[in-house]
Amino acid sequence: MEIISQLSGIVVPVFICVAFGVLWAKVGTPFDTGLITSLVYNIGVPCLIVATFQKVTLDPDAMAEIALASLACYVSFTLLAYLLIRALRLETASYLPALMFPLTGSMGLPVSYFAFGDPGLALAIVYFAIGTIGSFTIGSAIAEGKFSLRGVFRIPVLYAVAIALAMQLTGLRMPEWIFNTVDLLGGMVIPAQLVALGFSLLQLRVGGMARSAFLGVFRLAMGVAVGFFIADLFDLTGAARAIVIIQSAMPVAVSSYLFAEKFNRQPAEVAGMVVVSTAVSFVTLPFLLLLVL
Amino acid sequence: MILKILSVIAPVFVCAGIGFVWGRTGRAFDTRMVGALALNIGMPCLAFSALTKLKVSPEAFAAMAGAYALVLACFLGVGLITITLMRLPAHTFLPVFTSSNTGNMGLPLCLFAFGPEGLALGICIFVLSSVFSFTAGWSIYAGRVAADVFYNNPLIYAVAVALIFMSTGIEPPVWLANTTALMGGLAIPLMLISLGVAISNMKAEGAGRIIIVCVIKLLAGFSVGYAIATILGLDGAARGVLIIQSAMPVAVHNYMFAQRFNRNTADTASMILISTTMALACLPLLMLIVL
Repeated sequence: MEIISQLSGIVVPVFICVAFGVLWAKVGTPFDTGLITSLVYNIGVPCLIVATFQKVTLDPDAMAEIALASLACYVSFTLLAYLLIRALRLETASYLPALMFPLTGSMGLPVSYFAFGDPGLALAIVYFAIGTIGSFTIGSAIAEGKFSLRGVFRIPVLYAVAIALAMQLTGLRMPEWIFNTVDLLGGMVIPAQLVALGFSLLQLRVGGMARSAFLGVFRLAMGVAVGFFIADLFDLTGAARAIVIIQSAMPVAVSSYLFAEKFNRQPAEVAGMVVVSTAVSFVTLPFLLLLVL
Repeated sequence: MILKILSVIAPVFVCAGIGFVWGRTGRAFDTRMVGALALNIGMPCLAFSALTKLKVSPEAFAAMAGAYALVLACFLGVGLITITLMRLPAHTFLPVFTSSNTGNMGLPLCLFAFGPEGLALGICIFVLSSVFSFTAGWSIYAGRVAADVFYNNPLIYAVAVALIFMSTGIEPPVWLANTTALMGGLAIPLMLISLGVAISNMKAEGAGRIIIVCVIKLLAGFSVGYAIATILGLDGAARGVLIIQSAMPVAVHNYMFAQRFNRNTADTASMILISTTMALACLPLLMLIVL
């Protein structure tokens, strides 16, 4: 009984927020996803990162450990996804970014937070921040077909990570007035992203279902396998282990669709991957949590 | 003390400032959508979460709402006297006195000045203030009685359900507490950013009498709040919250009402802009008094 209460405390908030977005789309009310994404990525996420690392102090070893484990996960995703894409003779620019970077933000962060509180959120943010920076640099470079280093410095998350790192290393903290402000602004990130996710799920123009369903399920299976493997390889325990596995097992990120659409890399199929993997993960998430909690 | 005051007012200035810059730089901002997200989803969740998490007693809720009802009655009196003396049309100028910005601006101030307790008490007032604006205020603009707010405003339902938990002492299930806490996080930042965007699009004109009305509104607001808090013998967070909420400037939704019912939108916009700017300028002083 207690486990059901604990599990529902983690997954129901995610479902309900997504359901609000789905309902919004069903009713046909306009929803400016671009505005929400812009508010979230330019303002909300950087604030959430610095606010969380004001509240939580990770010891440098734990921080390095989760950062390395996360990096190892992303490298494994890239290698496995690349092998699959070559084996199936698919176009790398279209499918690799979608398989490399899971939905660690809107879905991974609330799940980690409700499972392990602020310390869990801090660990999950490390995984998420590495993915976000990777996705906006390497991911978009693969989709676009060219890499520009200047783009890196236009990612607000990068600066937030630098500030968070500086606070962790020096032990310095922000004054209360800054903390109150960033804490308030950071609070909109997760719900806004989840509602936007729900809305997008209905708006995406899905095509080529068979292949995208296969790739979506592959993303989830690969995520779980890599997550467990890397967690064991790094001898992670407790919250760190659970969070590496949870974050790895997340579905295809909606941002992959944005890149696919922007650079015209099979957006309909990437949309299919997003929808299928998200829907499947709604069903599998409670079981995964049972395994790792 | 200065740092404490700064920690209360900085979030309001920064968030509204983000909205202001957003609006001024001409970026697209769908005020209706953000308003719906903040007010129809975020706010009911925030109200439920704040009221049940703190186990505010129904008596405390009623006491706060009762105190604010007295404040509203005084506002109505001040408003009537002012519009009669200045020969202003009631349909545009009366709601300006009774509908204050207890949500956008009042709630973050209550939260950062008095913590979660302040937020919960501030919400008691916000609920009454919204109900009053959307019934009485709306009716004054419309020129006919309107009460559909009672069934089409999700906030009312959220508070009704919260009152059940508050009066029975039952804890809400974890999933409900977590969901409302999460979604409640949308309300204040989105409302403040919208406030900034709204102000950035408004022009102040017709100066003279508008400024006088704004000064009366703000001075009367503060004095009435202060007087009622003293008469009722309130102290601590209850006193501070009542004074803060009473001293808030003209609510932004007055502009939407004025637009909808073809009232004087230019004057309404000017009053919102001028009273908000004045209130922002006076915030440090207000905080000095209530903290």
